[in-house]
Amino acid sequence: MAKLSIGNTVSKTSEAVTLWQMEKGIVEISKNTLAVPIELDDKERGYVFHGNGKFLLDSIVETEEGAIGKPVEKELNELFLMLGDTEEIQKRFTEAGEEDFAKMGYENQHGFLAKAEDLFNRFFEKGMHGHRILNEDHGFIFAFQNETSKLDILVDKGLKLVYKAMDMVFVSNKNKVVLKSPSEVVCLSNGKSVIVKK
Amino acid sequence: MVMFIYVDLYLIFIELKRISVKLRSVRIKLSEDLSEEMKKLKEEIANLKEQFRNVMGGERERRRGIYIDVGDRVHDYVEDMMEGVAEGIHGELEKSIFIGPRGVRILRRKEPHIRRDEVELSFPKAAEVMSALGHEHRLRILDELMSGGKYINELQEKLSEITTSTLSSHLKVLEEAGLVVQEKVRGRYLITMPGRTAYKMARRVTRFVERRNQE
Repeated sequence: MAKLSIGNTVSKTSEAVTLWQMEKGIVEISKNTLAVPIELDDKERGYVFHGNGKFLLDSIVETEEGAIGKPVEKELNELFLMLGDTEEIQKRFTEAGEEDFAKMGYENQHGFLAKAEDLFNRFFEKGMHGHRILNEDHGFIFAFQNETSKLDILVDKGLKLVYKAMDMVFVSNKNKVVLKSPSEVVCLSNGKSVIVKK
Repeated sequence: MVMFIYVDLYLIFIELKRISVKLRSVRIKLSEDLSEEMKKLKEEIANLKEQFRNVMGGERERRRGIYIDVGDRVHDYVEDMMEGVAEGIHGELEKSIFIGPRGVRILRRKEPHIRRDEVELSFPKAAEVMSALGHEHRLRILDELMSGGKYINELQEKLSEITTSTLSSHLKVLEEAGLVVQEKVRGRYLITMPGRTAYKMARRVTRFVERRNQE
């Protein structure tokens, strides 16, 4: 059994960092974003962040009948979790001080750690994900808190992309795209589409 | 004659007796097999319970951290999630489409039928859509987008007679009316489903008017 835990050392970003980027989406964080590592057997596998940033996803399906769906645009002002490649991100960290915690509304480091641990536990214990984590695979998982304090999940695994939010699901897998929104379901496969209005 | 009937009846009785004995033996065999299976199942359940107790019970430390089996990979996670989504979609399709021997039938909700003329037209929305269509350049933009998504510079090349700022403001009008959508990451402009319908409608109305005027 491997041990997955949240670290004790809090850092902050020394510059704006693009955590994830592909044709359809991007996750960026600004300078001075607080970060605490998620460790798998003492090796960093991800972070819980709190700062300012943005998440964009073009959850649009281009069908023969026209484009369906709209882009997701989210300001990342709440804590969020990331699992994935940490090598490049590590280079952009510097030590966080008391004033950095105060700026984000925490009394001290413990305040931030408690919130980060809460998110960590919610993701790994109570979420639908079970006890699953990146191992040797290349890929990214993000968990963003939404308005109802539930978690919106973004998974990027090479050619597969899944975004599951409160009111929508977007799946992209090579030349297959699926969008499920409150009003319709759209499936696109090799240029052919099925649209089901609810 | 009566003798023959008695003999037949006797033979039938013998046959029935034989079948009854055979059935009893089959039932006994089945019940033995089932009890054997039940016994095996009970053993398996007891085994699983024991394993569950071991996992949930003593071994987990009370320190911060979660112990996981790293055999699980993100690949499985994505597969599971996609399977879930596929099931959801399958459910939606099942509710909406019936595939039978006579072909595909679209199922509609049992809602009271509303006649077209009973649907109230939203005049402000209608005016917004018509206003968005009411400019030559905007119609030309829609025409360009009918063949696929385009970046602003590609549109600019096609509509070289207007400035970039004018083009941007036209695109904004089309976006606000829901006829065009812009990708946030790549920045391409795409014509939406209502946009296509509106464009086709504009073309049809124009053709109709032209034909009438020629008559």
